[in-house]
Amino acid sequence: MALRKIREQGDEILTKKCREVKEMTPRLRELVADMLDTMYEAEGVGLAAPQVGVLKRIVVIDIGEGPIVLVNPRITHQDGEQEGNEGCLSVPGKAGVVVRPNHVIVEAFNEEMKPVTVEGEELLARALCHELDHLEGVMYTSKVKGDLFDTRIEEEESEEEA
Amino acid sequence: MTGTVNLREVILGILMEVTEGEAYSHIVLRDTLEKYQYLPKRDRAFVSRVTEGTLENLIQIDYIIECFSKVPIHNMKPLIRNLLRMSIYQLKYMDAIPDSAVVNEAVRLAQKRGFYNLKGFVNGVLRAAAREMDEIVYPSRTEDPVEYLSVSYSMPQWILRKWLDQFSFEEVERICESFRQESPVTVRLRTDRVSREEIIASMKEEGCVVTQHPYLDYAVRISGYNYLQALTAFRQGWIYVQDVSSMLVAEIAAPNWGDYIIDVCAAPGGKSTHLADKLKGSGYVEARDKSEDKVERMQENIDRLGIINMVAALRDAAAFDQESFHKADIVLCDVPCSGLGVIGKKQDIRYRMNATRQEELIRIQRRILSVSQNYVKPGGVLIYSTCTIGMDENQMNLKYFLDNFPFHLESIDRYLPEQLRCRTSAGGYLQLLPGIHETDGFFLARLKRNHE
Repeated sequence: MALRKIREQGDEILTKKCREVKEMTPRLRELVADMLDTMYEAEGVGLAAPQVGVLKRIVVIDIGEGPIVLVNPRITHQDGEQEGNEGCLSVPGKAGVVVRPNHVIVEAFNEEMKPVTVEGEELLARALCHELDHLEGVMYTSKVKGDLFDTRIEEEESEEEA
Repeated sequence: MTGTVNLREVILGILMEVTEGEAYSHIVLRDTLEKYQYLPKRDRAFVSRVTEGTLENLIQIDYIIECFSKVPIHNMKPLIRNLLRMSIYQLKYMDAIPDSAVVNEAVRLAQKRGFYNLKGFVNGVLRAAAREMDEIVYPSRTEDPVEYLSVSYSMPQWILRKWLDQFSFEEVERICESFRQESPVTVRLRTDRVSREEIIASMKEEGCVVTQHPYLDYAVRISGYNYLQALTAFRQGWIYVQDVSSMLVAEIAAPNWGDYIIDVCAAPGGKSTHLADKLKGSGYVEARDKSEDKVERMQENIDRLGIINMVAALRDAAAFDQESFHKADIVLCDVPCSGLGVIGKKQDIRYRMNATRQEELIRIQRRILSVSQNYVKPGGVLIYSTCTIGMDENQMNLKYFLDNFPFHLESIDRYLPEQLRCRTSAGGYLQLLPGIHETDGFFLARLKRNHE
């Protein structure tokens, strides 16, 4: 297992558009495995290749129902709307409210370059949109409704006994 | 993307800790909400509401589940059991959430937590419950009163049976009913440095609604504040949060100028500070407790309130202290008890307590009484109190005490507000019942040591 360094907001690479994967190579296989390791280690539910510094159209997702690897993904259908909190491993300690479609269908290739279709609602739909945005150089912070907020636990005044 | 918080999974975690473990719900809930402080207020309120509501209605919810499940509730996997419980609560009590959302979320959560094979079961029970919620037949009030009270108010049957031996059905129902009502916070006004009017004016100025309590002129109910600890009156030590039943302890103790008082189980110190206030700086109150932590906090409290005639001391009430033999004018035995009188404030007490634990408590109570009576001077007074309802920890302990030690009960009528005077108070003790009296459930008695 190899962990890669997660790039944080401010890093230019996160604003760039990623390139299509033409064929699966041993190096890319290693990248996919490392991305999964890195995502699980950071307790994330999704990670895109540019977040570990590689401008390739690859994302990994696991919302608690098993890993999904998507190569060259694109959204072919979306409907509905959901509003909820979203955070990003590249923006540690922050979250914000983002409106996303509630249902999406994504067509892509898996790590064997076989075509796959993934359909997701709610959290999975949100994760798919969030990760696919990364491949276009788009961060969720540009879509946040209202302000970002802190997700780190603040020191609370110790409660005096009544 | 970072993991998002699944609120229902958070609730499930709390329920697992409380119903399958030994943790108290108000502590687990507080710790959990602290951890998820960043969540919007609405989400935090949802977590509190579902957790508290599920626990408050647990017996009723289990009854409903068993109407739709062939598997008895106690044979289910703990996680599935609690998942069904919180879902039934939402189906029955939260109309704003569509039934389909409740069912789908539950099925998804079962799968996520590794119970793929029980998805169908969860789905089946919840769909049937959602469909037939209004057709459930509950136990009959007239034909099966114990079962009726138990399911309607989620009270364990063993407690109800004991109460029904002692009180009428209507009284027991009023007690159960009162546990479901939100009770306002009551505070004691400490008027030694600032007048009653000034304290009330200060609280009103900061947005409180203040109403007079019918039993004691220095007791008021307050509401409408945001954060009690931020009130000037609190920070200045002009008010002390306390139920009126606890205040009555100092009333019936009725200390005289210069008395030496030992409170053997004092933490958190409310009754002791009240007694110290009543001594107006004279005499001395020794507030004992066996937990170092509690004694420290009690001492901080004493300092904050600026009380000079009181000290916190680390001492176990069950261990005899030779130094104190026949020294005290008043000894306060506010013993550890089953707490059935304060279920309204601590909802899960009723599920934790059982007959075996109660017997163990009665042994401790008698041990504390036997040890503490030694400290009372001839002619001095011992005040016995509990925050529970029922003969076993109250009247039966009095009988045990009077059979074994040279004390007699003394009427408490002259110390009580008129509304509370009754046959037993003339005899020296009083059982307060929530829903019938304007207090928590509480018991108090005044015992005087014979002159040798």
